[in-house]
Amino acid sequence: MLKLISYLLQQGIATNKNICPDLADGVRGLPMITDVPCSTGCTACVDVCPTDAISVFKIEESGHIKLDLGLCISCGYCVDACPTGTIANNPSTRVAVSRREDLVLTTSSQPSENQKLAASALVAAPDSLEKAHWFKRSVAARVVSTGCSACDMELGAAGNPIFDMERFGVHIVASPRFADALIVTGPISKGMQEALKSCYGAMASPRIVIALGTCAISGGVHRGGYASANGIEDLLPVNVYIPGCPPHPWSIIHGILVAMGKERLAPRPVARLDTVRIEK
Amino acid sequence: MKLERLEMPLDELHDKLARTLTKNSNKRLGLFTSIDGGQLVTLLLDPKDGTAELLISPLELERNKYRSLTPHLAQFHWFERALFDFFGIVPDGHPRFKHLLLHEEYEADFFPLRKIALPENFENVLPRRYEFLEVKGEGVYELPVGPIHAGVIEPGHFRFSCFGETIVNLEIRLGWVHRGVEKRLTEVPWQKAHFVAEAAASDTACANAFAHAIAIESILGVTVSERAQYLRSIALELERLAMHIIDVGGIGTDIGLLGISSAMGRLRGKALGLADLISGSRFLRGFISPGGVRPVSERNLSEIKAGVISLRKDLAPVIQILSENQMATERMKDIGKLSRSLAHEFGMVGILARACGIEYDSRLSFKQGKFPELAPSIVTELGGDILARTRVRIGEIATTLDTIEKLVDGCPHGEEKMVLPEKLPANATGLGIVEAFRGELIHLIFTDEAGNISRYSIKDPSFQNWTAISIAIRENLIADFPLCNKSMALSYSGNDL
Repeated sequence: MLKLISYLLQQGIATNKNICPDLADGVRGLPMITDVPCSTGCTACVDVCPTDAISVFKIEESGHIKLDLGLCISCGYCVDACPTGTIANNPSTRVAVSRREDLVLTTSSQPSENQKLAASALVAAPDSLEKAHWFKRSVAARVVSTGCSACDMELGAAGNPIFDMERFGVHIVASPRFADALIVTGPISKGMQEALKSCYGAMASPRIVIALGTCAISGGVHRGGYASANGIEDLLPVNVYIPGCPPHPWSIIHGILVAMGKERLAPRPVARLDTVRIEK
Repeated sequence: MKLERLEMPLDELHDKLARTLTKNSNKRLGLFTSIDGGQLVTLLLDPKDGTAELLISPLELERNKYRSLTPHLAQFHWFERALFDFFGIVPDGHPRFKHLLLHEEYEADFFPLRKIALPENFENVLPRRYEFLEVKGEGVYELPVGPIHAGVIEPGHFRFSCFGETIVNLEIRLGWVHRGVEKRLTEVPWQKAHFVAEAAASDTACANAFAHAIAIESILGVTVSERAQYLRSIALELERLAMHIIDVGGIGTDIGLLGISSAMGRLRGKALGLADLISGSRFLRGFISPGGVRPVSERNLSEIKAGVISLRKDLAPVIQILSENQMATERMKDIGKLSRSLAHEFGMVGILARACGIEYDSRLSFKQGKFPELAPSIVTELGGDILARTRVRIGEIATTLDTIEKLVDGCPHGEEKMVLPEKLPANATGLGIVEAFRGELIHLIFTDEAGNISRYSIKDPSFQNWTAISIAIRENLIADFPLCNKSMALSYSGNDL
């Protein structure tokens, strides 16, 4: 035991002080839309997308795309396929949002289009981010896994000495009875729907729900199958969405910070439309 | 790999299997399923010769049942239950015939993979309601755990029957994360199917994509470039490395040596960083696809080699402290013991089979990337207990580090990805076998007359191994269960699909 303690002391502090830094070069994050115009009639991104997250449409003869990060499994194929550089790799780990429609990116800045997106995007308006101030100092989270375990492992990693999410006041607890937040991973197929609802029902108010990972948001690659693995949308109201397959531990921490109303510790990079111009 | 396809009448199948799957035989059962509900498909593997044999036994459609194989060959017990769940084929005389993966939420006559109509006189003998095996007797009580567990892990239900602190029986009920992966794999265009195959169990994403790629390539009859084969093997070993590190760390958590688990958690981060270098993804997602791999730069390869060398140095003191810690050794010794004969009888694979002396590692038997040419030697132990499993894992961390180094050194220049034809050939069969970090993983694909995938079957190593926990934990204390469970580290999603 003394050997172990002395080893741990020798190792020093491993924790990263820089909160939610960008991903290293060459590491795939989610895609983003740059301000380079899309070429009309091109469907390269739509053709390679495994989850139909991208659609193309036309406004006055110019080509536009719509990209739903809630369906995206960050395979990066669209980034590789895009001939103009309209879709690029987003190195940011600050990707969590509190409204489902904010996950839908588009090249069109026309209000009509955005309204349509907002209307199609979803249901259950979070009653809630006002609730966030309840959990500003600490949040006890119950995790319900209904998926393939990658998101669970990344959540576990977020608790390791490098990311150390406990320093932000986040505790993973073993019972819904003393949980403030319900973190859901996986596409919630038929088998787990009842169990998930009971778990939510056992939580005291005020309570929030965090959908962790693309499967939890929309079902991801499993969407539309016979097992009704279509994500959380028709089951529970959601307060924070963390897209990714799986999201990076920093993205998970970012999502929890958003849920706690502590987003200022790691603000989302401004603007999606006027970000970087990629030379190709 | 050569896959021999044989028609085998149903009444000969019993004899053939009874003769083949004996104690001293070299052959083992790969998987057992059906294509569309009109036949039984048995995959037999011969690890010694590296060959496989596929037995197709047509069923009489009006009867829709056959004599169960389980009473004589125990390893068929879950295969036959899954066969009924998916196809509605009844194994007559199965000693514990009940549903395996589909729960009460599904309608009684719902058989998702069945393509031919059910016989008119079909009577569903099995209600959806699930009954656990009941242990009767004064002082025996039941302890239900799950499906939602206390920690951050996948869902499953454990029903313990205990007498005092001692576990008399453990029944495991899975299927909570059944997502319909096998069906989905037949619905998407085959060029995009590797994303679904990866999601079968994402902690095994690389091995699943690898097995998928081998199966598709064997249908097309193509061989990928030498460089792609090296890179695939490196990726597979990186996945094994990262998962073995965290699984050894998990043993530390459950013993109470939190210093070990936090150190291992940190070092796993380094291994995941190496996965990032080769694939741009910590879980190696999207790296392997039919036809090859994503491009990797020489600089990243040399960084991986440097990373492996430094990781070996970093791991040594932590592993030494764990191995020398007497408290840890005594906690693991003689707990959760699995006998070699039962492991053999139930066809168990991977770490837990090697920990009771079964020398089977599919890397040494079946072609997968640069294996068996560059495969490391098998690590085995004889104890069959938690200590033996941990030792095998520690031994494999060392051989894996060496193997990655060897592979990086040997990796030639060349193309990473080849162009594949648009269509798969009609009526073909493809087989991919990969040694995932949990053990032998099998993907078996059938195409129809139009060259579309008509049946996609996955056999995760956990499918055979779940029974091992029930066997190993019997007569142990209830408090030993978490540690025993962790030492097996099985997959729920890979089993449930």
